[in-house]
Amino acid sequence: MSSVILRNVNKSYGNLPIVKNLNLEVKDGEFVVLVGPSGCGKSTTLRMVAGLEDITQGDIQIGDRAINDLPPHKRNIAMVFQNYALYPHMSVRENIVFGLKKSGADAETIKTKLADVSEMLKLDEYLDRKPADLSGGQRQRVAMGRALARDADVYLFDEPLSNLDAKLRHHMRTEIARIQHQYNMTAIYVTHDQIEAMTLGDRVVVMRDGIVEQVGSPMEIYLQPANTFVATFIGSPAMNLFEAKVDGEELVFDKYRIPATSIANVDLNVLASHDTVLVGIRPDFFEDSALSLQRSPSDNLFAFDDIQVDLVENLGFDKEIMFTLGGENAKARLDLRSHVQRQETISLSVDLNRVLLFDTSTQGMLINAGEV
Amino acid sequence: MMMNKRTPIQSVILYTLVISLVLFCVFPFLQILSTSLKHPIDWGNPSLIPRVLHLDAYKELLGLMPAKEIDVPASVQRLLDNPALSAEKKQMLLDKFTSNDEVFAFGRYMLNTFTISFVTGIVSTFLASLAAYAIARLRFPAQSLMANGVLFVYMVGGVLLMVPLYQMSVTVGLASSASGTILSLFLIYLIQTLPVAMYMLGNYFRTIPFSLEEAAMMDGCSRVEAFWRIILPLSKPMLFTVFIYCFVIAWNEYLFASVFLKQYQDFQTLPLALQTLFTSKNAIWDRIMAASMLTLLPVIICFMLANKHLSGGLTDGGVKG
Amino acid sequence: MASSILIKNEARLGLKLVAPAIGIIGLLVIYPIFFNVYLSFFDVQLNGSKTFIGLDNYSDLLANPRYYHSIGVSIIYLLGTVIGTTVLGLAAAVLMNQEFHFRNIARGLILLPYFAPVISVVFGWQFIFDPVNGIYNHVVVDVLHLTDTRENLIGNPDSALFVVILFDIWKHFPIAYLLLLAKLQSVPKDLYEAAAIDGQNAWGRFWHVTLPELKFVIATVVLLRIIWNLNRFEDVYLLAPNVETLPIFTYYQAFAGIVDQGGAAAISVIQLLVLVGLIWLYVRKVLKW
Ligand SMILES: Nc1ncnc2c1ncn2[C@@H]1O[C@H](COP(=O)(O)OP(=O)(O)OP(=O)(O)O)[C@@H](O)[C@H]1O
Ligand SMILES: [Mg+2]
Repeated sequence: MSSVILRNVNKSYGNLPIVKNLNLEVKDGEFVVLVGPSGCGKSTTLRMVAGLEDITQGDIQIGDRAINDLPPHKRNIAMVFQNYALYPHMSVRENIVFGLKKSGADAETIKTKLADVSEMLKLDEYLDRKPADLSGGQRQRVAMGRALARDADVYLFDEPLSNLDAKLRHHMRTEIARIQHQYNMTAIYVTHDQIEAMTLGDRVVVMRDGIVEQVGSPMEIYLQPANTFVATFIGSPAMNLFEAKVDGEELVFDKYRIPATSIANVDLNVLASHDTVLVGIRPDFFEDSALSLQRSPSDNLFAFDDIQVDLVENLGFDKEIMFTLGGENAKARLDLRSHVQRQETISLSVDLNRVLLFDTSTQGMLINAGEV
Repeated sequence: MMMNKRTPIQSVILYTLVISLVLFCVFPFLQILSTSLKHPIDWGNPSLIPRVLHLDAYKELLGLMPAKEIDVPASVQRLLDNPALSAEKKQMLLDKFTSNDEVFAFGRYMLNTFTISFVTGIVSTFLASLAAYAIARLRFPAQSLMANGVLFVYMVGGVLLMVPLYQMSVTVGLASSASGTILSLFLIYLIQTLPVAMYMLGNYFRTIPFSLEEAAMMDGCSRVEAFWRIILPLSKPMLFTVFIYCFVIAWNEYLFASVFLKQYQDFQTLPLALQTLFTSKNAIWDRIMAASMLTLLPVIICFMLANKHLSGGLTDGGVKG
Repeated sequence: MASSILIKNEARLGLKLVAPAIGIIGLLVIYPIFFNVYLSFFDVQLNGSKTFIGLDNYSDLLANPRYYHSIGVSIIYLLGTVIGTTVLGLAAAVLMNQEFHFRNIARGLILLPYFAPVISVVFGWQFIFDPVNGIYNHVVVDVLHLTDTRENLIGNPDSALFVVILFDIWKHFPIAYLLLLAKLQSVPKDLYEAAAIDGQNAWGRFWHVTLPELKFVIATVVLLRIIWNLNRFEDVYLLAPNVETLPIFTYYQAFAGIVDQGGAAAISVIQLLVLVGLIWLYVRKVLKW
């Protein structure tokens, strides 16, 4: 296992910059997840680490080796491809041990590794089949097995679960988490899926247009997003943003006046230099005021009264409601026990400790990171 | 078209047309087969079915005929009886009479043709697979020029180059020895097959997902190893087909063979030898037809094999569709 | 550029892999093309000796009635074979696209002529047209009584041309058929259904739906057949050496009778120019580079 360091890495196709000045350090044994919208350069970044794409500018280091000029096969990296890329002319067994054999492992090691991997991924009964005779999920497991059987310095995953159905994806996600903890591998994992990002990553890297917007632990990203892009990209449904006027120590929008002093970590001097700010509230942080939920003394509730409910969607465990607030469409996720109905007028409360403020023009966060 | 039921009249028309077309295609083959099995007295008989089965032509071509009685003239017999003559000399003398110029050395011509076609096929397929892989997969200067140039060269063909190629081989001195001539011919067959082979293989390699090679490189293969251990095994059916293609081009070639091999009778190929046999006085239909049949069979078998091999569709399944 | 080493390595490997093939093609195709132009200005002997004669080869050629005759023969040959293979190929494709019993066997059988080596089939064709034993004369004279005399069709260059054309159609229509059938099978069914609803009969559907869909493939087939047949040698020479298309005329000039290799080179130069024009057309119009 080794660390991976990307220093000022740039990638352009012709004159078109794709990855811009990327800096990232993946520590030994760390599992880092890259997320971002389609086309933002996640795969490109991964492929530069793998050596499948050359680096236009900057350096990549694995352990203490600079690998810029090292061809892919000398980097000792294992990779799981989005489209599996299994060797069609080899059986599952041959696919899995191909890399091991190539690295010169002895027969004993190969045997134990194969047994390990096929047991872990439940591949025993398929070992003699060809990839063409497997289902999508089985192929994905073989692709995973092929990488995990290797004793690589770094493991790369490019959306490995994106072709699976929800159930299988969940199963594989927990499997990967388990394997990761068991082997403590250094890994970079690209995904679209926020749940994968949140549950698998020791740290999450949020990218947009070839730029890293934020790097942090899943909870940091969730609770302390660096800007509105990260705030709205992570979390589903997306965070609500309301534009509020700054009126002394109060934030005013619609008919509500929120005492800014109650918002965690607010610096009133900073606030005073702004005419307006964006108030960010995650749908999960709204509560139905009618429910008498248990409160802790540190709670710092603010109630939005007279909310007209436009739509209610029952999701089973919880329900999503849509309403209009400050002229914006907003969403809240309420507890199962709430009995709100469409067209009803209700009161929603929010713990002001969870409310975030963003700069209207720069979209950056206005609150110094507090405790997570 | 296909959706509505046919009336009986339409069916009759359809089957008539199909049968006519198929007959048009296979009739010459039936004619060849039939004539090869007919006794000379039977040739004028328009029916395809021989009155009596006559296998002498095949037997003769395949060397299954009993050796003819040799009439050794008395004068020679006297020489042979001379004890002063070494056994070697005697044998040579005897051979002169036993060797029968009338006999068409089908086996030898077949072997010549097979050898040069086989070697051409192997070398051409091998060189073309290297080049086609590079053109299809690697980035290097002048790559697209080469990709397009191959198509051009493919269409130019060899006929237009008969004079310069002949002159080149004369200038270099290859045309003056048997081995040089055969080398020239082999090189010429190579350029007649290389462009087609490169074109076919290039198109095929492009259909193999790039990620297979990338996976191989991640598994520790260099580019060359990935080509060798993943791409080539995956392309087996296509390599085989291309080999057959090249093989048949060489097998068919007459023009350059006639130019180069005219004086080297022992090395002549079948097209040349058959043409010579046909134009010679003792043109005998049954022998020629039997020879046609025998040159036809391997090719037909090859194509049947290639066809079967091709339908495998090996790349299915390894990569998501 | 920090990582240009990887790019350089790839380029080096690429050049290494193409080197043998491109080297051979360069030496034995590209170089001869230019050498050919060079030779066309010389009087060249079979043993390699040359004397410069400027444009004499070309002026001799342009004054040679045999040259014009062979151009004429080539044009008839091209017209006949191109039209013949395309039409028969199209008919076969439409026919084989219908459903009927034993379709797979029929499809396989009609490919036979294409796969068979020329040398294995020409003598069969010779026999069919043989004046004494051939089935052709038997049918024409003895069965249909069209004429009284048995004719040697292949012996006479004029009639032999038509036998050669027929042979070429027989041998090469399958490739046109294959290309057209592949396209035909990809014509969406609903086009036919729409046309049927519009009241088109089978012929109307062929004319208004099938043909427009096939236009592009037909153009390809026609152009490719011209390009291939312009250079065709074995199929003509082995069946009827007396039919002097351009390649055969060139062959006689270069290697038979009074050898005139320089003159043959001149013919090839002119033919190559025509061919390059056609290839250019193919590349531009059909492949649309
Ligand atoms: N060979 C190429 N030439 C030019 N542009 C390219 C090339 N390969 C990728 N790109 C561009 O680079 C950008 C980043 O691509 P990349 O594959 O890294 O995106 P991604 O973040 O992995 O997206 P996704 O989530 O859809 O997989 C895209 O805008 C893509 O169009
Ligand atoms: Mg991607």
